[in-house]
Amino acid sequence: MTEFLPVAKVGELSDPGKVTLEVDDEIVVLFLVDGEYFCIDDVCTHDNGPLGEGTLDDHAIACPRHGAKFDIRTGAALTMPATRATRTHEVKVEGETIFVKLAQP
Amino acid sequence: MSQATIATGFTQDAFDAFVAECDEPGWMTDLRRDALQRFLALPLPDRQNEEWMRTDIRTLHLDRYGLPNEPGDDVPRPQGLLRRGVELAGHVETLDGYLQSAEFDRKWAEQGVVFGSLPRLIAEHGDKLKPYMYQALDPGYDKFSALHAAFWTSGTLLYVPRGVMVDEPLYALSAMTNGGVDLGHTLVILEDGATATLLAETSHADEDAAGFHCGGVELHVGPRANLRYVNLQNWGSKTWHFAHQKGRVGQDAGIQWTIGALGGKLAKVNQHVALVGRGATAQVNGIMFTEGKQHLCYHTLQHHEAPECRSDLLYKGALQDRSRIVWRGMIKVDPGAQKTDGYQRNDNLILNREARADSIPGLEIEADDVRCTHGATSGKVDEEQIFYCQTRGLSRKEAVRTIVTGFFQQVSDRITIESVREALAEAISLRIKEFE
Repeated sequence: MTEFLPVAKVGELSDPGKVTLEVDDEIVVLFLVDGEYFCIDDVCTHDNGPLGEGTLDDHAIACPRHGAKFDIRTGAALTMPATRATRTHEVKVEGETIFVKLAQP
Repeated sequence: MSQATIATGFTQDAFDAFVAECDEPGWMTDLRRDALQRFLALPLPDRQNEEWMRTDIRTLHLDRYGLPNEPGDDVPRPQGLLRRGVELAGHVETLDGYLQSAEFDRKWAEQGVVFGSLPRLIAEHGDKLKPYMYQALDPGYDKFSALHAAFWTSGTLLYVPRGVMVDEPLYALSAMTNGGVDLGHTLVILEDGATATLLAETSHADEDAAGFHCGGVELHVGPRANLRYVNLQNWGSKTWHFAHQKGRVGQDAGIQWTIGALGGKLAKVNQHVALVGRGATAQVNGIMFTEGKQHLCYHTLQHHEAPECRSDLLYKGALQDRSRIVWRGMIKVDPGAQKTDGYQRNDNLILNREARADSIPGLEIEADDVRCTHGATSGKVDEEQIFYCQTRGLSRKEAVRTIVTGFFQQVSDRITIESVREALAEAISLRIKEFE
């Protein structure tokens, strides 16, 4: 069973912004867009590219390797060459702390 | 309860303290010192590098590991799979690199064969080993090869003199405690016309054991010699495994090299066969089975440096859960290596949709009279085959197990050592889960 783990403090991300984090042996990307936090795997499902190093446009993140785009809210692949969603993780804010709960393997 | 590895990291201070205690020839220590400088200077591999772009090691914290500590008497001694029912000429077993037991049949020693713990034997046979030790591997290839060259603490030596045919297998087990470290080095030297079989395997304290392995394998197969080498990687599921392995095969010599890759959290292995003498042959077999979040990455190179050589590589992998296998293979033919016959093939059976296999075969040919071919396949278990098996009374799980066993049969048939075939088949059979 996974649980919510503290990963960052409110105010550490600009809006819009993103940060790559290591959470319980996984690398994930935490986003802040329009005051809302989202978290996805730092993995492009096309060839494992690091999404955290990509360009964020509204709620879409583009993989820096081949340009595949993913919706940071759902993980859905928006453009080729990716065809499969990347994993999303639950985020919650309590007080000044941001927590992430990793999706079940 | 295992002893935790002291988190000193692989530092200059740790190195100085270590070499001060080593009983080894000066040339070996010099080699270590040179490798240490490379290790300290090199960064961890960059994901921009083609070789590493599919293998993410950002959660590896190298500073949490260091030279292994001697395990206590109360920790369990893991057992191996390959020696069951085999009459051995000798064995070497280590735990976290510390020698646990060694035995070698006197009749072979009397014929000049040397077998046993490498750190012990290098003190005794240093001059004999100098022309071979680290002549195949490049300590400066990457940070892991440099780490291993500087800090290796354990390993196996097999030396077979000219014309001696050792007809009983030799066996090496490298086991690790939970949280342990293994930095073993294997050195095999077969002189002209010699023959030997070495079964090597790794084992774990329990299925979920964590740990760090950074190893090296050097196989020197002299002219007309024949080596059968089996290497089964069966670490716990939270163990990091990094290895550089190279065989050099001389004129009219042969190597049959079988890899079994079952364990580990993440494995990154460079397996290189160099055919350096006219008429050399290499058969490379690989069986891989992954589950959970395992990531196994194998880079193979069949390097034809001399004419009229033949190499034949067959890697087969089956994947389940969210696991991933990356195989990147290259056949490289040098300008003078005419009449080369090179083949490589990689097949993957993907048992559920979250698993992923990447097969990247390649050819680099600089001679104009060669035959080099390659192939790769990836696919799911055929539902019609499952249905057929079910009509014959098998459950779905039994059907999948039968199909997976059949999938590996092609490579299993090439393995001439019965205990190896049985151990691999049993280990894989136990791992197969049921997927709809």
